Amino acid sequence: MAGLYAAMSYGLALIYGVLKIINLANAGFLMLGAYVTWWLFTSYHIHPLLAPLLIVPAFFLFGWALERTLVRRVLSAEPIISLLLLFGVWLVLQNLAYVIWTGDTRSIETPFVEATVNAGGLQLAVPRLYVFAMGALVLIALQLFLTRTYLGRAIRATAQDRDAARLVGVDVDRVMGIAFGIGIALAGFGGSLLSLLFSFTPDFGRALSLKSFCIVVLGGLDSIVGVAFGSLALALAEAFGVRYMPASLQNLISFVVLVVVLIALPRGIVGTVRALRRG
Amino acid sequence: MGKPVAYAVVAIVALSAVPFVAPRSEYAIEVLFLIFLYGAMATAWNLLGGFAGQVSFGHAAFLGIGAYATTIMIANGVSLWVAVPVSALLAGLYSLVIGIPAFRLRGPYFSIATIGIGEATRLIALNWTSLTGGASGLTLAGAPPLVQQYFAALALLVAAVGLAAWIRSSRFGYALAAVRQDTDAAETLGVATTVTKTQALFLSACILGVAGSVYALHYLFISPDSVFGFSTSISLVIMPIIGGLGTVTGPLIGAVVYTFIREQFAATLANVDLLAFGVLLIAIVVFEPRGILGIADRVRGMRRARPPAGADA
Repeated sequence: MAGLYAAMSYGLALIYGVLKIINLANAGFLMLGAYVTWWLFTSYHIHPLLAPLLIVPAFFLFGWALERTLVRRVLSAEPIISLLLLFGVWLVLQNLAYVIWTGDTRSIETPFVEATVNAGGLQLAVPRLYVFAMGALVLIALQLFLTRTYLGRAIRATAQDRDAARLVGVDVDRVMGIAFGIGIALAGFGGSLLSLLFSFTPDFGRALSLKSFCIVVLGGLDSIVGVAFGSLALALAEAFGVRYMPASLQNLISFVVLVVVLIALPRGIVGTVRALRRG
Repeated sequence: MGKPVAYAVVAIVALSAVPFVAPRSEYAIEVLFLIFLYGAMATAWNLLGGFAGQVSFGHAAFLGIGAYATTIMIANGVSLWVAVPVSALLAGLYSLVIGIPAFRLRGPYFSIATIGIGEATRLIALNWTSLTGGASGLTLAGAPPLVQQYFAALALLVAAVGLAAWIRSSRFGYALAAVRQDTDAAETLGVATTVTKTQALFLSACILGVAGSVYALHYLFISPDSVFGFSTSISLVIMPIIGGLGTVTGPLIGAVVYTFIREQFAATLANVDLLAFGVLLIAIVVFEPRGILGIADRVRGMRRARPPAGADA
């Protein structure tokens, strides 16, 4: 579960870090990733594990174009304006999915999805292991990209201080477009992974999206490693919480965690740490 | 100040005459009823979202509490005259329970928390089966005549818009505007920002509580997914933005546009209406964040800029 939560939250953290906007459309792209995987599988018999090869570049381009055409125009406005814009994007994606794919519940069924392995007496579902591994792999890849490549460093520089990055010669506009594209591609990838574990409808993602916000706030809004820890914390909180309350209320846990964290640390964990550092 | 009041009086008189002039046109009365109800709801949302700039994605919670409180009380034989004010008060009290912690959050964080609040309220309503009937919802036996509902909704709308107009030109309204523009600066200048925001939320929730009563008495059936649903919260966000965020008449214009678009698409495909609203929302936010009123302003500005072409220019 933790790997999955992490996979769906990286994009959110990256976009917040670089563009300082909250991608409310994240849920929409998760859902879209799941649907595209399903559609490729049922219409073209492309194996669900290969779908990300198509989804990641396509979503990257889509996200990049979205940043160029719409998001860029509202970056300098009040934060609430960009929130509303991405809320609009979410509405469009969600209802487009209703129109194209109807509200019927979909799921992907392959031998792979039902496979289990026996590990020291424990029956483990293969897709869950796979998703966890992928979540960890993406974390490592992202961390390498952000620390070892010029573009990755440029992204981090822009996240830290946009004006300073511009001063030392980073093409900030280009970096923001690329970062948004990567963020969307990560959401699409997360959605594709989700489709292996759950059945979904166009409304899929709202509860998950809340979890993503929770994770990102827990881990620090712009730290990739923080997201991984946040995911683990939430997955554990849910696993233990479920023993003491009805399963139908499970989604309340992330909400309670979110509210407690937000209220205890109104600026988010990162903001609090920064404020403390500044003394 | 005199001119808008005069327009409002003319509009109220004209709208009050509709059921007597055209008593047979039930559809027109129904559509106007919906516009009044949505207009009041949008105006209520706008008190907090527009005036104070605190965008809430969870306002359906207050509508739902009003609707459930009214339905439960009336089903148990409580008089309507008691049930409606108590519903409003319950919604208002709930807003205090939520608002006091939630207002520790700023801007976008507050907005995200409200998604959670709306969702949590729906889940509670869904699972508290002994009180709410769970997913199967609650029904009421008989509705008041449509004409009575029509006037109830009109009265609610007039009260809501009147309150908004009064707030806008009051000290309280200026405090809200200061919170919207710069919360820290407002605090420095002696505005008790949290108290101000909480008051706006309370008023907003009370109006939505009454709207919930009207809703319950009109549809006679409520379920967690209808009144507490996320789509209800969405519609409350969309209407003021379409019309003009933070204005007195904007939410009303938004409610008219919203109701017509919804009625247009109601017969065709489901969800096409929400798709249209999404596109509209994006277009407005990107090109004219002040909504239809902003567009009207621009058109007027263009006319004034042009050299007078005729006698009436």
